[in-house]
Amino acid sequence: MTATFGRFLILASVLVSTTGAFIAYAAGAKRSPEGLKWSQRFAYAFAGLMVLATGVMEYALITHDFSVQYVAHVGSTQVPLWVTIVSLWSSLEGSILFWGFILGIYIAGTTWFNRNEHQEYMPFAIGTWLSCGAFFSFLIAGPANPFLSVNPAPLEGPGPNPLLQNHLLMIIHPPMLYLGYVGMTIPFGFAAAALLRGRLGQSFLRPLRASLLLPWVFLTIAIMLGGWWAYEVLGWGGYWAWDPVENASLLPWLTATAALHSAIVMERRGVLKGWTVTLIQASFLLTILGTFMTRSGVFNSVHSFTQSSIGPTILVFLTVILLFSVILLALRIDSLESEGRIESAVSREGMFLVNNLFFVVFTFTVLVGTVFPLVVEAIKGKQMSVGRPYFDAMVVPVGTALLFLLGVGPALPWGKVSRKEMLRALLPPLITGAVALIIGYAFGVRNAWTLVTLLFGGYAMHVTFAQMWLPLRQRLKKGDSFAPALIDAQLRRGRRRFGGYVVHAGAVIVFVAIAVSSTMRTQEEVTLTRGQSTAFAGYTVTFLGTEERTEPHRQSTIARFNIARNGQPVTTMEPRMNQYAAMREPIGTPAVHSTIGRDYYLSIMNIQGDQVGLLIINMPMVGWIWGAVLLMGAGGLIALIPARRRTYVVVPESAPTIDDEAIA
Amino acid sequence: MNRTVLIIGIIIVAAIVFVLFAGLGNDPQHIDSPLIGKPAPPFALKSVNTGETIDLASLRGKPVIVNFWATWCVPCYEEHPTLVANARQLPNVQFIGVVFNDTEDKINRFLAERGSAYPTLLDANGKTAIAYGVGGVPETYFINSAGTIVAKFEGPLSTEQLQENLAKALR
Amino acid sequence: MIAIFFLLALLQIKVPDAASIVGQPQGAPLSGPQLEQKTMAISAELRCPVCQGLAIGDSPSIMAANMKAQVRELLARGYTEEQILSYFEKSYGQFVLLKPKFQGVNALVWILPVVVLAIGFVLVVSKAKKLEVAPVAAAPEEPADDPYLARVRERVEKQ
Repeated sequence: MTATFGRFLILASVLVSTTGAFIAYAAGAKRSPEGLKWSQRFAYAFAGLMVLATGVMEYALITHDFSVQYVAHVGSTQVPLWVTIVSLWSSLEGSILFWGFILGIYIAGTTWFNRNEHQEYMPFAIGTWLSCGAFFSFLIAGPANPFLSVNPAPLEGPGPNPLLQNHLLMIIHPPMLYLGYVGMTIPFGFAAAALLRGRLGQSFLRPLRASLLLPWVFLTIAIMLGGWWAYEVLGWGGYWAWDPVENASLLPWLTATAALHSAIVMERRGVLKGWTVTLIQASFLLTILGTFMTRSGVFNSVHSFTQSSIGPTILVFLTVILLFSVILLALRIDSLESEGRIESAVSREGMFLVNNLFFVVFTFTVLVGTVFPLVVEAIKGKQMSVGRPYFDAMVVPVGTALLFLLGVGPALPWGKVSRKEMLRALLPPLITGAVALIIGYAFGVRNAWTLVTLLFGGYAMHVTFAQMWLPLRQRLKKGDSFAPALIDAQLRRGRRRFGGYVVHAGAVIVFVAIAVSSTMRTQEEVTLTRGQSTAFAGYTVTFLGTEERTEPHRQSTIARFNIARNGQPVTTMEPRMNQYAAMREPIGTPAVHSTIGRDYYLSIMNIQGDQVGLLIINMPMVGWIWGAVLLMGAGGLIALIPARRRTYVVVPESAPTIDDEAIA
Repeated sequence: MNRTVLIIGIIIVAAIVFVLFAGLGNDPQHIDSPLIGKPAPPFALKSVNTGETIDLASLRGKPVIVNFWATWCVPCYEEHPTLVANARQLPNVQFIGVVFNDTEDKINRFLAERGSAYPTLLDANGKTAIAYGVGGVPETYFINSAGTIVAKFEGPLSTEQLQENLAKALR
Repeated sequence: MIAIFFLLALLQIKVPDAASIVGQPQGAPLSGPQLEQKTMAISAELRCPVCQGLAIGDSPSIMAANMKAQVRELLARGYTEEQILSYFEKSYGQFVLLKPKFQGVNALVWILPVVVLAIGFVLVVSKAKKLEVAPVAAAPEEPADDPYLARVRERVEKQ
């Protein structure tokens, strides 16, 4: 019953989205307000069907209805409720349904938010969104159908992948990631609408930018959560391995960040419209590439879902939208003509251009490195690997260049400046940069890249605060008192600007923290018998003993350690070695003791009776990475809060009042 | 129509699509062995059943099937009866088992429980496994009578797969 | 037959030795903290064959631990990094090298990003120059994107 109902809902959504897409495109071509209304209705209908279908699936999961194939696949009466709820996205079919759910909400929300505006663009946008919706509905209805019936229904299920039941982060990382990925569909639709219409007006920039910024915030936080999860759960002491699926999440983030910056110049000077639109399209296309990489089984990755027939289908969709985007761009990019010019290449505008360049090179490098083994295998039939050493070597210089621009870009004024003004803008932050460098050196930093990062980072931080200070200083000069001036300048009127600089401040900390935690990291491998101690990085570690614990899906050996500093006990740490029934190799769970200055990380290498082989890692400033990324997200959210649009209309006292009737 | 955008765009699209389509047939878990067609790395290891040392070189003249396994490897349990049965039926083929990172006790217990039809050698520190390019267990190498590796199979063997690969060694 | 086995028993148990694969050690033997550091460094460049993409230094699997021990032993005997990487490459293929070798087709992965950066730089500079001399278009009429605003404006302008 439930399965049949679910299948019906999905088939209905295929129908609704396909019809809606046709109607919307027709409405756009004919500029029909009636057509727009119908497009909106179809958009809401599609969303409603997706939400309902997801609700039906969650209901089936929670009631353990094993006659539904997906529930039979990942459900289990033996797991806690939260695991049952999140198993919606734990396996392939359910995760595509989840994708459709989020897409529906985004489409409905954006349509409703813009229901009375931008009537020339919205039909094209809705048409594009519903076309994507149609594809995903088709996937859910066909190759990845979670609603198939199982007859006779089994009495029990295997539960989701045990690795996914390990940590609470599993609850929040995938939804955040989907909110980021799927959200890129919306600006893609807006960009397609602008191209189809043949123009990109100033008033359309606001929704275009907002629709890009919201998923960007989610994606930023999601990527960080992924790194944090790997760090806390996998036991190898790192947070980023340049795994193909990790790279797949980074690629759209890079192009979206570039697009956000490009949009600023577009707004100020009316240039770079073509570039901005291309970057927005690329962000969406890369999310589809990313989903292909994760689900096709082509790439060797920790994250890969099991192989299925879904790969070729996604690839066909990717090919179609790639061609659509390229052809649309080629046809219309010249009509998004440049309405402005820049006064000087050495100015803030010029720096935005260079910024775009480095982001594109960064994206290209990560993409090439990820797909290169495929290329070689296709051409020469031989297998080769492109791993961490390659990416670290190539990305560090590009990242450092971006950090440099983070400082120099906002320091330069807009437009043409005299040499004297330029020096006045560029030289003072060097002092802060030098101070940061000296502090780092005093703390023991000797690695050249890290020292350069500290120099550029200090510089950029100075510039960021100086820019934040600017509007506040103007108000203080006028005579306002401090607190109200602060709130007014930053949070009431200057949200976009302030939010942007908060993001920059967070980004600087992320750069520095990554550099420091990677290069100042020390580790030691030691074998301890029970009662034995070792001293490392300021702590004394004493092995207390082991404990065996058997759980339904895994067998764990827990090793207990006492951590002391100068004789005073600080904490106990309990890293584990887990043998899962479903996996060939054992997987360790590390224990992490985080303080503001550093993380003390214990991971078991091997354990036998009273002897344990222990890996101890001391990593400074790791906690700063997570916090700083959250700061970046907060900055994005601040910038997102819409300003009330102010339109000044000067009406003389004796003017007739404008009443709705007269206008209508 | 902006020709530059069109041409560059089509080139990029074609490249990406070509690469991904080509990759579709791959099994990312499979590792090609560079040793196929090359002489099998020599070794001489102690047999757990009999205590004697068996040298690979001494087995030349017969096709050899070298099966890497361990008692901590779950799929190896499935594979063992197939190997034992085939070993008994094919006296002209030399079967050899190589175990690494394991103890003699556990191995002997395993063989006592499940039967043994051919020598099982102990590769105590796993060096032989490394020399053969073993990634995980079980993995099986098929060597012809001239001492050249002709095939490598990853994962537990079924009788058909064994016969198929053995045919290559018998040519 | 038995005589041959006797003879073999007298010989040491032997495993395929690095010497037969990459020749004699060409560097100085290492020990102590230097040995550990170099082991870590090389372990970061070798791929664990059984895990997905991890280096042997990061992997908990048994095969990876064996390979790491082998690296340490070879370093202690004086083999250089090149020789050690070559040793593993002979058994596992180029697959096991996490840093692509700069030879043949593989060199492309190192060269392409640099080429793109160079071309991009040229494009950016020429685009900036073009924009500098672009004629400022006549201030565009802000079109009636918002119909209500347009009507209000119309109304007001009629005064």
